[in-house]
Amino acid sequence: MKKVAIPLFATLAAIGVAYSIHLIFFVTPLQYGLNEDGKLNGSSLFFNQKLFYFHTAHAMLMLIAAMMAGAASIAYLKTRDPKWDDAASAVTDVAVVFGGIALLSGSIWAEAAWDVWWKWEARLTMTLLLWLLLVGYVLVRRFAGPSADRITAGMAIFGMISALFVYKMAGQDSHPAAGADGVVATLGPGMRGPFWLCVVAVLTWYIALVLVRLQSTRAERELRELRERGLDLGVLQ
Amino acid sequence: MTRVIAASAPRTVLIVLAVAAFAASFLVPGAAFAQAPPAGTEEARKACTAAMNADPAFAASIVKIADEQAAAQRDRDTVKAHVDANHHIQKNQRHVIYGYAAMWVIAAGFVIFLWRRQLGLKLEIANLRRDLEAAGEPPSKGRT
Repeated sequence: MKKVAIPLFATLAAIGVAYSIHLIFFVTPLQYGLNEDGKLNGSSLFFNQKLFYFHTAHAMLMLIAAMMAGAASIAYLKTRDPKWDDAASAVTDVAVVFGGIALLSGSIWAEAAWDVWWKWEARLTMTLLLWLLLVGYVLVRRFAGPSADRITAGMAIFGMISALFVYKMAGQDSHPAAGADGVVATLGPGMRGPFWLCVVAVLTWYIALVLVRLQSTRAERELRELRERGLDLGVLQ
Repeated sequence: MTRVIAASAPRTVLIVLAVAAFAASFLVPGAAFAQAPPAGTEEARKACTAAMNADPAFAASIVKIADEQAAAQRDRDTVKAHVDANHHIQKNQRHVIYGYAAMWVIAAGFVIFLWRRQLGLKLEIANLRRDLEAAGEPPSKGRT
């Protein structure tokens, strides 16, 4: 089952992403920014709204991954079982990539829709800080030495709380709102299906990447243990 | 002296009145030029309307000129709107392409990183196991 899991999820992700792209560009309607009187406003979304689907899906997965890393780190600190540490590390690495995609695609979209690359607003700034925290996790993991596991566990718990703040801050600024009255909840019928299909495809892709990264993390742990044995035996210096 | 003043009084009055009228012509705009065209917009409109009512051919030519100017202005506005819309559409298309390209580049880069890391780890683990076995250490269970 383990050998089948990664190819299976990767194949499902590829099919899902390909079909999502087809739906996004050939089926979903264009979204026009309208004023209350029904007239077009100056910062209409038009074609650049096509970035919404993958941008939002990656942002959602980044927040979910940050919370999963925090939960795994709590489990590790409680049980000291290495598998939780490996899981937190794998999930955080993927969260960094997905967060980078969300931030970069969002920045490009902002330049098209708002004519600015970045706005120092609460939600965007908080998302950037969360992403930098996750990058810090990866760096500490790489360079901090023997106690890196506990330091990064604490960072991941902090990241989990930050992720909740990022979600709650939606709608406080020009970035669209989240929640029951938010953009996703009020999507039109032509957009809702493709959006959720896109989210499922990106989730499948996320699972495939986490499984691959988990393999690498366990291999790194095995390598460390072999090196320690080699040092003890005098085979390595 | 009184007789001289009394004899020249009417002439003086006439001179004073003439000077006053001449001065007043500068104070009251248009008062000195009874036949000149009216200076204000309202006056001009009234004069033009009167002329158009008096001469139908003149009226038709005025209407034609006004229509042509309005049509030219509408065309200029339409062209400007189309140019703006075209600029917006091109910018939108460019940015969507950049956005998707950035996503693909990052995703592909991460996959390549994972693949290379996995290969390197497998090689290093295999080398270490071989060295440990050569040193007489029993082989460990492989997890990769």
